[in-house]
Amino acid sequence: MDVLFLDAPYAGSVELCKETLAYLKKKKYKTVALYASVQFVNNLDAVREQLAENSINVITSHADRTQVKGQLLGCDNYHNSLNMPRDESKTVDCYLYVGDGKFHPLALVYAQKDLHEMKEIVCNDPLAKKMSLMEVADVKKILMKYRASLMKFLTAKTIGVIVTIKPGQEQFRPALALEKRYANKKFHYFIDNVVSFDQLENFNFIEVWVNTTCPRVGFDDQEKFAKGVINLNDALMTEDILGRDSVLTRL
Amino acid sequence: MHSKVYKIGYKNHSMRLYNPEVEKAIAKVKEVKAKTICIQLPDGMKPYAQEITQRIEEETGVRVLIWLGSNFGACDIPLGLNRMGIDLLISWGHNKFNKKIGW
Repeated sequence: MDVLFLDAPYAGSVELCKETLAYLKKKKYKTVALYASVQFVNNLDAVREQLAENSINVITSHADRTQVKGQLLGCDNYHNSLNMPRDESKTVDCYLYVGDGKFHPLALVYAQKDLHEMKEIVCNDPLAKKMSLMEVADVKKILMKYRASLMKFLTAKTIGVIVTIKPGQEQFRPALALEKRYANKKFHYFIDNVVSFDQLENFNFIEVWVNTTCPRVGFDDQEKFAKGVINLNDALMTEDILGRDSVLTRL
Repeated sequence: MHSKVYKIGYKNHSMRLYNPEVEKAIAKVKEVKAKTICIQLPDGMKPYAQEITQRIEEETGVRVLIWLGSNFGACDIPLGLNRMGIDLLISWGHNKFNKKIGW
């Protein structure tokens, strides 16, 4: 079977609104990390010109799962999945996201959860011609529950590992690393086509869940897991994450 | 072939304009000589499945099946379509995805 992907690009002009430019100037930001969703990422010339006119440097990166430099996917939402060199990321004053909705820029919040400080995320919506800020306060409740799930995982003995079977999502073999890392825990593997949240409670012997499907499930769907859920990558480094002085541990 | 721009979005967001590039879909259907295809749309485009289906069917004669379920991203390709004799899946709203093993 052939597969064709169509981006459905935004057909209007993609520019920064006055509010965004005024905010960047007011904050005296000199360097922004520019990202956009696929509908906008191939049409950022005007945005780059606007930033240059205001003497604001632009840096960006090629995130792990993307095809296009500067593209932001909701799942490039952890640790160094943006692939920005450390010396470059130090120079960034804020992230600038071009696109609509909250799903994509929220990835930038989650990506910074284990850092000492979170850099501001300025969102410019070319459709509404409005600016908004994305902050940790937007997902504080989710992150607090996530942290509690991490703590629960440390002491839990019976863990449910969720694996979905679509080829783009399936991560069964990487999940087996959990057994080596935590020899004193029993891991049960649950496979599904999409995560059936309504089935979780039937497996009442599970103390806490590990998600291997999409790295957003651990956050966006945290509330649907009565026993709590953490993502695979964090499960493999739970003590390190909880031992840091970070945005997450200071909540 | 002209590129029609559909108004995509809810009534109070009628200025939301995304180009569904149906002409590219039609060209692909002809290129692979597909007989039966499946179209997979993100939630915001699902209300336009009717127009997209109609245009593809009229211009190619292909049978179009509409994926009812999720379209989380390019990682979310439905399984089992081959068994139904579907020769082409067209998925909107995403580009090719680099799977990262062991995230």
